[in-house]
Formats: sequence, structure tokens, C-alpha cells
Amino acid sequence: MFGRGLIKGLRTTWHLGLGKAITEQYPERRPKLPPAFHGSLSLDPQKCNACGLCARACPNNVIIVDSERGEDKKRYLSAYTVKLGQCLFCGLCVESCPRGALHWLPDFELACYRFKDTEHVLYKRNPEGEVSKGA
Amino acid sequence: MAEVKGELQTQEFELNMGPQHPSTHGVYRARLTLDGEKVVKVENIIGYLHRGIEKLAEDRTYTQFIPYTDRLDYLSGMLNNLGYVQTVEKALGIEVPERAEYLRVIMAELSRMASHMVAIASFVLDVSGWTAWFPPFRERERILDLFEMTCGSRMTVSYMRIGGVAADIPPEFLPALKSLLDDLPQFIEQMHALISGNEIFIGRCKGVGKLDIETALAYGVTGPNLRASGLPFDLRKAQPYGCYDRFEFDIPVLTNGDSYDRYLIRLLEIEQSARIIRQAMESLPDGEIMAKVPRVIKLPPGDYYHQIEASKGILGFYLVSDGGTKPYRLHIHSPSFVNLGAIPKLTEGSLIQDFVVTFASIDIVLGDVDR
Repeated sequence: MFGRGLIKGLRTTWHLGLGKAITEQYPERRPKLPPAFHGSLSLDPQKCNACGLCARACPNNVIIVDSERGEDKKRYLSAYTVKLGQCLFCGLCVESCPRGALHWLPDFELACYRFKDTEHVLYKRNPEGEVSKGA
Repeated sequence: MAEVKGELQTQEFELNMGPQHPSTHGVYRARLTLDGEKVVKVENIIGYLHRGIEKLAEDRTYTQFIPYTDRLDYLSGMLNNLGYVQTVEKALGIEVPERAEYLRVIMAELSRMASHMVAIASFVLDVSGWTAWFPPFRERERILDLFEMTCGSRMTVSYMRIGGVAADIPPEFLPALKSLLDDLPQFIEQMHALISGNEIFIGRCKGVGKLDIETALAYGVTGPNLRASGLPFDLRKAQPYGCYDRFEFDIPVLTNGDSYDRYLIRLLEIEQSARIIRQAMESLPDGEIMAKVPRVIKLPPGDYYHQIEASKGILGFYLVSDGGTKPYRLHIHSPSFVNLGAIPKLTEGSLIQDFVVTFASIDIVLGDVDR
């Protein structure tokens, strides 16, 4: 019978319309993201010894590791900058870190107004030598 | 009313379809020569999404190129990853651990399912089936959630590595996958009720854009589009790669080669992919997920080619190495590009609304076409 398929389809549409809503109302309801989510990068400056493997693993030269030599000739981290505007969020940097200093956070809201704000300073050493975490 | 005396003069005209047309699935542009509503000539104009990925490969190490393969056919990132890493592994002769092989199969088939779901959904939307857009996208969302919990990204996954995979699956993965597969028959049934039997859909698609086997082979069309024309050719069976030879599955074949069959074959392939995933899930071995791979990868000089069955057809990677840490040249044989070549042949002589239907049924992704 012509039209049977249409009626069957409309019945399915009707069922779908009456079913439970599955859309997440985003700004009001926050999404529950898994811990593995590639949201933003975070650095543990205590663990980092400024070896620069992450900067070399990056396909897009996103990471800039600045290091200085101390009086004891040991290298230490002076600044860690991530140009997130060019980041592919592939995670090769996190995998390459031999000391587990770099990891992902599920914070995904990185939108900003100015291009220079896409450059995130994850760590910067104060002139006094104090350890501080930048924005 | 003015009376027309003598013969009416008609004239062909050119119509520009795209690159921002809603039914061109991206930034594809067709220059149509029309005689009234009839399409006389079709000219594919591509390149709006060209990012020079092949050239970028020449300035990246072999590992660093993996994230770029996600961005070829961005609807099935896992399959592009698989094709690329297997090319490098073939060149190096690396044995991939069992668990990694199985995880790769699970992820690749999930990716194929997600890609076919988008194909079906956007095809139906192009013939104004609004409701039928949602069930495939609802199911695809669950697949993307599975990707997200494993590798942290939803579409640009970068999951495969040379010698294995990037991360093991979390404990909540397998239960979620099982419930997804259990709900799949209901989804297929819904799609059949909504679309397959719908008289309007049948009227728009049956017999439209017929592709016979000879033409398909002459144009190099592969994948579901070829199988809808009646040739049971699937690289997973014909030239098994990875551990596909261990799984039992059928190659769905339909004979008409029209737009309707190209829709239906994708639903059938989703079912077969689910079958493969079920088998891989049940026999998932324990163990390592990465083989021992040197930190700096150097390929012996020479050229290497490897191809896999991606969701849209044969995806091949041709690598030329000069012995350094970076590829000397990488060429990507992308299925969408090849399949797009058959569009003028399929649509010339048809009506303009049939052009939209045929184009949607071929299922191309512009990221894959332009690269």
C-alpha cells in the first residue's frame, strides 16, 4: 500500500518526539568530561627539568621552554610558554615527558578576545628566584 | 497575455553551486551548465580546503605527522591514523602487540560506523528528511564519547602510534561499548522505519545516479560506492591488514548501484562493523599496547606504499624516504578525491535535484579531497 512507509516513519518520529530529551543544555549544565580529555595543558614546575623534549616532540613548535644555568651548573626552568593558538591538542608533548611533569586538564573553555591571550604562560620564574605559576 | 510568435529561443546557462551551498558537504563547488532544469555539464572545482598536508609532512618527523592524518577525512580520524602508522610499520618491519592490534580494530570499526552515520544523516537531510538526521547523530555521539574517554579528543583523535596505540582503554570503556552495540539493532530498525521504507525517499533516490561496475572501475571508485554497484571488493578481506583475518564478517553487496543502494549499503556495513567489534571485544587479549620502537624513527631509503579500507574507500599512503628522520615525500591516495571524479559522469543529463541526491550519496569529505 502506498503511504505505509510514510505512516510508519511518522509513528517513529512521534515516538522520538515524546522520548527523553538527550540534548545537554550547555552553559547551564556543565558537561561531565572524562579525565583523559585534552582540554588545556598544565605543568608541574617542580618535576620539570627543562630538558625540552616536549618542545621537540611538538609538530607545530607550540611549546617554548626557557632555561637557565644555576651557579651549580644545573639547568633549571625559567619560563614555560604554550602558544595554544597553534596547538593541535594531539598530546605528543605529554607523552614525551620522561618525568610526568606535563599533563592535560579537562578545562576546555579557552576562548579569548585577543590573539595574544592564546599564548599561555604556564610557568615563569620571578627575578627574586621565587617559584610562581603564571596565568 | 502576450502571444509568442515563432520559435522560443532557449539558451544554456551556467550556475555556480557552492562553495557555500548547504548540500555540498563542505567547500565543494560545482560549475553546472544547465539547460532549464537539466544538467548538461558538471565541472568539479576543488581546493578551497587545501592545507598542503602532503607538504607539511616533509617538515615533520614520522611521529609528528600522525595528528595531521586526523585532519584528512575528519569524520573517520582513526582510520586515517591506522593507514599512516601501518605504512611506517610496514617500512620498519615492526611487530605490533596483540592488544594494540585488537584495540586498533575496535577503534577503526567504531570510526567507520561514525563516518557512515554522518553519511546517512547528511544524505537524508539533503532530501529534506529532518527527523532522520537525529538518530544517527545520537548514536555517533556515543561513539565520540568512547573516543573521548580513551584518547581525549572526539574527532581529531591522534590515537594510533607507530608500534601501537597511545593509551589503553579505561575500565568504563567496554561496558559503554557493549551498551552501544546492544542498542544498535534498535537504531537500525528506526532508520529502516524512518527512511528505507519512506515512499518520498524511495521516489527521490531509486534509480538516481546509477553507477555500473564497469564505470565504477574505470573511474577507480572504491568502498561502499563500489559495493553498492555489485562488486564485493573489500580490502579487509582481499588483502587483510592488521588482524582483520581473524574476524568473521560479510561484505554486504547490493546490485542496483543507485543512490538508494548507496544509502542502504552503509546501514548494512554498520551492522557488519558491529559484528567485528563484538568479536574483538570478546577476544581482547591482555598485554602491552606499544612495541619497542626507537625514539628517533628513521626509515631506510626507498619508497613504501600501504593501503587500507577506509570508510569511504581505499586510503593509501605512499612514502618516499631518503634515510632521514622526515619523509622525503608523502602522497595520500584519498578515497573521496577519487570518488568525486565520478560525479560528472553520474550526474550529466540528470535533473538538478538529482544532482544533489547523487552527490550526497557518494559521501565525500572535503578535507580528504583537498588535503
